[in-house]
Amino acid sequence: MRYVMKQSTVESTRNKTIAPATKTRPMTTTAKESAPPELSQYLMAVAADRDKQAFAKLFAWFGPKIKRIAAQKLNNDAAGFDITQETMTRVWRKAHLFVPEKGAATTWVYTVMRNVIFDAMRKNKTQQAESLSDDIWPIEEQISEESPFQDHLMTKQLGELVKKLPPNQQEALTAVYYKQLTHEELAKQLNIPVGTVKSRIRLAVTKLKQQLGANND
Amino acid sequence: MIKHHPSSKLLAGYATGELPASIAIGVAIHCKMCDQCQANVDALTAQLADQVFDAELTEPMAYENEQFDLASEAEAPMDMDFGNMIAAITADDEISEQSMVRSTSITVKGKNFELPAPLNNVRMSNWLNIGKLSRSSLNLDEGAIHSHLLHIDADGEVPTHTHKGFEITLLLDGSFEDDMGTYHPGDFIELNGEHNHQPKTKEGCLCYTVADDALQFTEGFHKLFNPIGSLLY
Ligand SMILES: [Zn+2]
Repeated sequence: MRYVMKQSTVESTRNKTIAPATKTRPMTTTAKESAPPELSQYLMAVAADRDKQAFAKLFAWFGPKIKRIAAQKLNNDAAGFDITQETMTRVWRKAHLFVPEKGAATTWVYTVMRNVIFDAMRKNKTQQAESLSDDIWPIEEQISEESPFQDHLMTKQLGELVKKLPPNQQEALTAVYYKQLTHEELAKQLNIPVGTVKSRIRLAVTKLKQQLGANND
Repeated sequence: MIKHHPSSKLLAGYATGELPASIAIGVAIHCKMCDQCQANVDALTAQLADQVFDAELTEPMAYENEQFDLASEAEAPMDMDFGNMIAAITADDEISEQSMVRSTSITVKGKNFELPAPLNNVRMSNWLNIGKLSRSSLNLDEGAIHSHLLHIDADGEVPTHTHKGFEITLLLDGSFEDDMGTYHPGDFIELNGEHNHQPKTKEGCLCYTVADDALQFTEGFHKLFNPIGSLLY
């Protein structure tokens, strides 16, 4: 006997604020369930700290759903598995592109999944292997390469927040976003690995995003 | 300035990812030029995300519950696969860099045009010139649906024609006129078989076009040249 509550739920719960899932929640209380608000925090933890625990939680919530959605769309179980893998890999690698102020974690993961499915379906139907989805639905442009905060960049608020970052993050952020150095150029200048530059910037950006988000509420 | 927008049906199809690539590209280009449609698409996308994931909410969440024994027997192997998947994914510490916004530019009749990003990775044929018309076909491999870049030189026109199927014209650069008015960059014009259509341009224009059927010329003289139809759109 599996979970009885197939239909009763969703619409009615959409607008309610749902308390964070409790440990004791039996799986059959899904009637009160909606996407947990922590998903967005998990994504940010993955972005900032490569947090595997947080990723496992994201996977637990999204993985089985993506598998079923994709298997149904492509009418193929194995494909559902592949698409889950590809989608969640992109989530792991692109979490730093998620901008919580712009939308829900579910929306962001949905767009990643939609793109993966689109490319897979095209690969099935055509002779072409090029991925077009990221050109057609530019996920990455939500933050432009020039500056993730173009609109706010000059605002005092951001300036103040930048000053509170650790010095090495400030330095990396200023070099890349104000002075337009590439990651490689900055790495050479500081004589540190490119990966270190990238992670400093990622950490800085994530922190700023969190704080801007908090202040805007 | 943009007066013509994709139908709400097309916007929805774009958000779900279910349009053919050629049409999705047209909608994508339009949305880059039209904040209003982009906002609609964003709202639709958020709704869709809720719908598809909410519809799945009744499923067990083995990891979060840490009670694997509650998962049905049948799902155990899948759980194990998922566990492996998580391990494999997180073992690799790479992050994906944002792709630099790069652009492709083309030259038609000595004029330079920057192509919108959705066309970055689409293969194009060489330009074919017929009088004031130049055309490059895009190789998207979508059967009866053909897409092209169409350039009309100043004071040029496309002979009156009609379609059996649909025709989408997205104006990328310049302007053109037809019996329904003047069009500007970003305008997205959707026609079906009932329309007669005779675009003319004073200043010249570059369009992205999608049609699911060769056009048929409907006016005297041009009927002789009907075979040309399949070369144009
Ligand atoms: Zn529009």
